[in-house]
Amino acid sequence: MVGSLAQPTHLPPYFKLRKVSSKSAREREREPSLFAFAMPDPFLNELTSMYERTTERGSVWVTLKRSSMKSKAKRNKMTSAGETIEYRCLVRATDGKKTISTVLSAKDHLRFQASYATILKAHMSALKKRERRDKKKAGDGQTKQEDLKKPPKKSSS
Amino acid sequence: MVYISSWDEFAERSIQLFRADPQSVSCVLTSRYVMKYRHCDGKLVLKVTDNRECLKFKTDQAQDARKMEKLNNIFFTLMARGPDVDISEVSGKEQSEAQPTKKGRGRKQ
Repeated sequence: MVGSLAQPTHLPPYFKLRKVSSKSAREREREPSLFAFAMPDPFLNELTSMYERTTERGSVWVTLKRSSMKSKAKRNKMTSAGETIEYRCLVRATDGKKTISTVLSAKDHLRFQASYATILKAHMSALKKRERRDKKKAGDGQTKQEDLKKPPKKSSS
Repeated sequence: MVYISSWDEFAERSIQLFRADPQSVSCVLTSRYVMKYRHCDGKLVLKVTDNRECLKFKTDQAQDARKMEKLNNIFFTLMARGPDVDISEVSGKEQSEAQPTKKGRGRKQ
Protein backbone atom coordinates (compact mmCIF):
# COMPACT_ATOMS: atom_id res chain seq x y z
CA MET A 1 0.00 0.00 0.00
CA VAL A 2 2.74 2.44 0.94
CA GLY A 3 4.74 1.61 -2.13
CA SER A 4 7.75 3.59 -3.11
CA LEU A 5 6.72 6.96 -1.75
CA ALA A 6 9.19 8.64 0.57
CA GLN A 7 7.56 8.99 3.95
CA PRO A 8 7.37 12.49 5.44
CA THR A 9 9.79 12.79 8.31
CA HIS A 10 8.12 15.72 9.99
CA LEU A 11 4.86 13.88 10.55
CA PRO A 12 4.26 11.23 13.21
CA PRO A 13 4.96 7.76 11.90
CA TYR A 14 1.30 6.75 11.68
CA PHE A 15 0.67 9.24 8.90
CA LYS A 16 1.61 7.30 5.85
CA LEU A 17 1.41 8.60 2.35
CA ARG A 18 -0.60 6.62 -0.11
CA LYS A 19 -0.53 6.84 -3.82
CA VAL A 20 -3.55 8.81 -4.91
CA SER A 21 -4.06 6.95 -8.14
CA SER A 22 -4.29 3.39 -6.86
CA LYS A 23 -7.54 2.41 -5.27
CA SER A 24 -7.67 1.24 -1.71
CA ALA A 25 -9.05 -2.20 -0.99
CA ARG A 26 -12.25 -0.71 0.39
CA GLU A 27 -12.92 1.26 -2.75
CA ARG A 28 -12.37 -1.79 -4.84
CA GLU A 29 -14.83 -3.73 -2.72
CA ARG A 30 -17.53 -1.09 -3.09
CA GLU A 31 -17.14 -1.04 -6.83
CA PRO A 32 -19.09 -3.78 -8.50
CA SER A 33 -16.71 -6.12 -10.30
CA LEU A 34 -16.76 -5.43 -13.98
CA PHE A 35 -17.97 -8.87 -14.91
CA ALA A 36 -20.45 -9.45 -12.14
CA PHE A 37 -21.41 -13.10 -12.70
CA ALA A 38 -20.66 -13.31 -16.36
CA MET A 39 -21.59 -16.32 -18.41
CA PRO A 40 -18.94 -19.02 -18.44
CA ASP A 41 -17.65 -18.30 -21.96
CA PRO A 42 -16.88 -14.59 -21.59
CA PHE A 43 -15.42 -15.45 -18.20
CA LEU A 44 -13.06 -17.92 -19.83
CA ASN A 45 -12.04 -15.38 -22.45
CA GLU A 46 -11.29 -12.85 -19.80
CA LEU A 47 -9.41 -15.42 -17.77
CA THR A 48 -7.25 -16.19 -20.78
CA SER A 49 -6.35 -12.56 -21.24
CA MET A 50 -5.59 -12.34 -17.53
CA TYR A 51 -3.05 -15.11 -17.84
CA GLU A 52 -1.57 -13.47 -20.89
CA ARG A 53 -1.26 -10.13 -19.12
CA THR A 54 0.52 -11.53 -16.10
CA THR A 55 3.39 -13.31 -17.80
CA GLU A 56 5.99 -10.71 -16.87
CA ARG A 57 4.78 -10.01 -13.38
CA GLY A 58 1.78 -10.56 -11.17
CA SER A 59 -0.32 -13.52 -10.16
CA VAL A 60 -3.62 -15.04 -11.13
CA TRP A 61 -5.86 -16.38 -8.40
CA VAL A 62 -8.73 -18.68 -9.26
CA THR A 63 -11.19 -19.61 -6.53
CA LEU A 64 -13.74 -22.37 -6.69
CA LYS A 65 -16.56 -22.50 -4.24
CA ARG A 66 -19.91 -24.16 -3.98
CA SER A 67 -22.82 -21.86 -3.34
CA SER A 68 -26.54 -21.82 -3.69
CA MET A 69 -26.40 -18.17 -4.74
CA LYS A 70 -29.37 -17.39 -2.54
CA SER A 71 -29.54 -15.24 0.52
CA LYS A 72 -29.83 -16.88 3.88
CA ALA A 73 -33.45 -15.78 4.32
CA LYS A 74 -34.47 -17.28 1.04
CA ARG A 75 -32.60 -20.47 1.77
CA ASN A 76 -34.37 -20.89 5.09
CA LYS A 77 -37.70 -20.28 3.41
CA MET A 78 -36.93 -22.90 0.82
CA THR A 79 -35.92 -25.55 3.31
CA SER A 80 -38.97 -24.96 5.43
CA ALA A 81 -41.16 -25.16 2.35
CA GLY A 82 -39.54 -28.46 1.46
CA GLU A 83 -37.96 -27.26 -1.76
CA THR A 84 -34.55 -28.60 -2.62
CA ILE A 85 -31.92 -25.91 -2.93
CA GLU A 86 -29.93 -26.19 -6.08
CA TYR A 87 -26.25 -25.68 -5.52
CA ARG A 88 -23.95 -24.20 -8.04
CA CYS A 89 -20.29 -23.65 -8.46
CA LEU A 90 -18.98 -20.13 -8.12
CA VAL A 91 -15.73 -19.45 -9.90
CA ARG A 92 -13.80 -16.28 -9.30
CA ALA A 93 -10.60 -15.10 -10.88
CA THR A 94 -8.48 -12.10 -10.11
CA ASP A 95 -5.13 -10.63 -10.99
CA GLY A 96 -5.03 -8.55 -7.85
CA LYS A 97 -6.68 -5.59 -9.50
CA LYS A 98 -9.61 -6.85 -11.44
CA THR A 99 -11.99 -9.60 -10.39
CA ILE A 100 -14.21 -11.61 -12.66
CA SER A 101 -16.61 -14.32 -11.74
CA THR A 102 -19.06 -16.78 -13.11
CA VAL A 103 -21.58 -19.27 -11.81
CA LEU A 104 -21.83 -22.81 -13.07
CA SER A 105 -24.76 -25.10 -12.74
CA ALA A 106 -24.36 -28.87 -12.83
CA LYS A 107 -24.69 -29.07 -16.61
CA ASP A 108 -22.39 -26.11 -17.25
CA HIS A 109 -19.57 -27.54 -15.27
CA LEU A 110 -18.72 -30.30 -17.72
CA ARG A 111 -18.06 -27.97 -20.58
CA PHE A 112 -16.38 -25.42 -18.35
CA GLN A 113 -14.11 -28.06 -16.88
CA ALA A 114 -12.77 -28.98 -20.30
CA SER A 115 -12.21 -25.40 -21.44
CA TYR A 116 -10.72 -24.43 -18.11
CA ALA A 117 -8.27 -27.34 -18.24
CA THR A 118 -7.21 -26.29 -21.74
CA ILE A 119 -6.55 -22.74 -20.63
CA LEU A 120 -4.51 -23.85 -17.66
CA LYS A 121 -2.45 -26.27 -19.72
CA ALA A 122 -1.75 -23.59 -22.29
CA HIS A 123 -0.67 -20.93 -19.83
CA MET A 124 1.13 -22.74 -17.07
CA SER A 125 4.24 -23.04 -19.12
CA ALA A 126 6.64 -21.53 -16.60
CA LEU A 127 6.60 -24.61 -14.39
CA LYS A 128 9.66 -26.77 -14.53
CA LYS A 129 9.68 -29.93 -16.54
CA ARG A 130 11.27 -32.97 -15.00
CA GLU A 131 14.45 -32.93 -17.06
CA ARG A 132 17.18 -33.02 -14.49
CA ARG A 133 17.33 -36.21 -12.49
CA ASP A 134 19.10 -34.37 -9.75
CA LYS A 135 18.07 -35.70 -6.36
CA LYS A 136 19.17 -32.47 -4.75
CA LYS A 137 16.30 -30.73 -6.48
CA ALA A 138 13.68 -29.37 -4.07
CA GLY A 139 10.25 -30.98 -4.24
CA ASP A 140 9.51 -34.36 -2.73
CA GLY A 141 7.02 -35.22 -5.44
CA GLN A 142 9.72 -35.18 -8.04
CA THR A 143 12.11 -37.49 -6.21
CA LYS A 144 9.28 -39.91 -5.47
CA GLN A 145 8.41 -40.06 -9.14
CA GLU A 146 12.00 -40.65 -10.07
CA ASP A 147 12.38 -43.43 -7.56
CA LEU A 148 9.42 -45.22 -9.06
CA LYS A 149 10.75 -45.03 -12.57
CA LYS A 150 14.43 -45.57 -11.91
CA PRO A 151 15.53 -48.97 -10.69
CA PRO A 152 15.81 -48.44 -6.93
CA LYS A 153 19.37 -48.18 -5.72
CA LYS A 154 18.39 -49.40 -2.29
CA SER A 155 17.38 -53.06 -2.55
CA SER A 156 13.69 -53.18 -1.90
CA SER A 157 13.47 -56.96 -1.73
CA MET B 1 -1.03 -22.39 7.04
CA VAL B 2 -0.12 -25.95 6.51
CA TYR B 3 2.04 -26.71 3.52
CA ILE B 4 1.75 -30.33 2.63
CA SER B 5 4.68 -31.87 0.85
CA SER B 6 3.00 -34.94 -0.58
CA TRP B 7 0.56 -34.45 -3.41
CA ASP B 8 -1.47 -37.53 -2.57
CA GLU B 9 -1.91 -36.45 1.00
CA PHE B 10 -2.96 -32.99 -0.07
CA ALA B 11 -5.46 -34.36 -2.56
CA GLU B 12 -7.00 -36.81 -0.14
CA ARG B 13 -7.28 -34.39 2.74
CA SER B 14 -8.70 -31.61 0.63
CA ILE B 15 -11.39 -33.87 -0.77
CA GLN B 16 -12.25 -34.97 2.76
CA LEU B 17 -12.46 -31.35 3.81
CA PHE B 18 -14.86 -30.58 1.04
CA ARG B 19 -17.04 -33.53 1.73
CA ALA B 20 -17.24 -32.77 5.42
CA ASP B 21 -18.63 -29.31 4.84
CA PRO B 22 -21.21 -28.62 7.55
CA GLN B 23 -24.08 -27.87 5.29
CA SER B 24 -26.74 -28.75 7.80
CA VAL B 25 -25.68 -26.19 10.35
CA SER B 26 -26.15 -22.94 8.54
CA CYS B 27 -26.76 -24.03 4.96
CA VAL B 28 -23.68 -22.06 4.08
CA LEU B 29 -20.84 -23.90 2.46
CA THR B 30 -17.63 -22.43 3.63
CA SER B 31 -14.96 -24.46 1.94
CA ARG B 32 -13.20 -23.13 -1.10
CA TYR B 33 -10.39 -24.13 -3.36
CA VAL B 34 -7.97 -21.42 -4.39
CA MET B 35 -5.29 -21.63 -6.99
CA LYS B 36 -2.58 -19.03 -7.39
CA TYR B 37 -0.25 -19.02 -10.32
CA ARG B 38 2.73 -16.75 -10.87
CA HIS B 39 4.20 -17.07 -14.29
CA CYS B 40 7.13 -14.77 -13.51
CA ASP B 41 8.24 -17.02 -10.64
CA GLY B 42 7.01 -20.24 -12.16
CA LYS B 43 5.14 -21.12 -8.98
CA LEU B 44 1.78 -22.69 -8.35
CA VAL B 45 0.11 -22.67 -4.96
CA LEU B 46 -3.09 -24.52 -4.14
CA LYS B 47 -5.15 -23.88 -1.04
CA VAL B 48 -8.21 -25.66 0.30
CA THR B 49 -9.83 -24.26 3.39
CA ASP B 50 -13.08 -24.25 5.29
CA ASN B 51 -12.02 -21.21 7.29
CA ARG B 52 -11.01 -23.44 10.14
CA GLU B 53 -8.53 -25.79 8.66
CA CYS B 54 -6.26 -24.82 5.82
CA LEU B 55 -4.33 -27.10 3.52
CA LYS B 56 -1.81 -25.75 1.07
CA PHE B 57 0.40 -27.16 -1.59
CA LYS B 58 3.19 -25.33 -3.36
CA THR B 59 5.04 -26.41 -6.43
CA ASP B 60 7.07 -25.38 -9.41
CA GLN B 61 6.81 -28.68 -11.27
CA ALA B 62 4.86 -29.18 -14.45
CA GLN B 63 3.87 -32.71 -13.43
CA ASP B 64 2.02 -31.30 -10.41
CA ALA B 65 0.05 -29.07 -12.72
CA ARG B 66 -1.15 -32.17 -14.53
CA LYS B 67 -2.14 -33.78 -11.24
CA MET B 68 -3.90 -30.58 -10.28
CA GLU B 69 -6.03 -30.78 -13.39
CA LYS B 70 -7.32 -34.17 -12.27
CA LEU B 71 -8.01 -32.75 -8.83
CA ASN B 72 -9.86 -29.85 -10.46
CA ASN B 73 -12.16 -32.32 -12.16
CA ILE B 74 -12.89 -33.97 -8.85
CA PHE B 75 -13.68 -30.64 -7.23
CA PHE B 76 -15.93 -29.57 -10.06
CA THR B 77 -17.84 -32.81 -9.77
CA LEU B 78 -18.11 -32.50 -6.01
CA MET B 79 -19.38 -28.97 -6.27
CA ALA B 80 -21.86 -29.54 -8.99
CA ARG B 81 -23.32 -32.75 -7.71
CA GLY B 82 -22.97 -32.31 -3.99
CA PRO B 83 -20.62 -33.70 -1.37
CA ASP B 84 -22.40 -37.04 -1.31
CA VAL B 85 -21.17 -38.21 -4.67
CA ASP B 86 -19.78 -41.69 -4.25
CA ILE B 87 -16.32 -42.54 -5.46
CA SER B 88 -16.22 -39.30 -7.31
CA GLU B 89 -12.64 -39.84 -8.24
CA VAL B 90 -13.35 -42.72 -10.55
CA SER B 91 -16.99 -42.88 -11.38
CA GLY B 92 -17.42 -39.15 -11.33
CA LYS B 93 -15.03 -38.76 -14.18
CA GLU B 94 -16.47 -41.70 -16.03
CA GLN B 95 -19.96 -40.37 -15.63
CA SER B 96 -18.94 -36.99 -16.82
CA GLU B 97 -17.34 -38.56 -19.86
CA ALA B 98 -20.38 -40.72 -20.51
CA GLN B 99 -22.88 -37.90 -20.33
CA PRO B 100 -21.59 -35.71 -23.16
CA THR B 101 -21.70 -38.66 -25.54
CA LYS B 102 -25.38 -39.12 -24.83
CA LYS B 103 -26.15 -35.52 -25.38
CA GLY B 104 -23.63 -35.21 -28.15
CA ARG B 105 -24.18 -34.60 -31.80
CA GLY B 106 -23.17 -38.07 -32.79
CA ARG B 107 -20.92 -40.90 -32.02
CA LYS B 108 -17.29 -40.10 -31.63
CA GLN B 109 -15.55 -42.07 -34.33
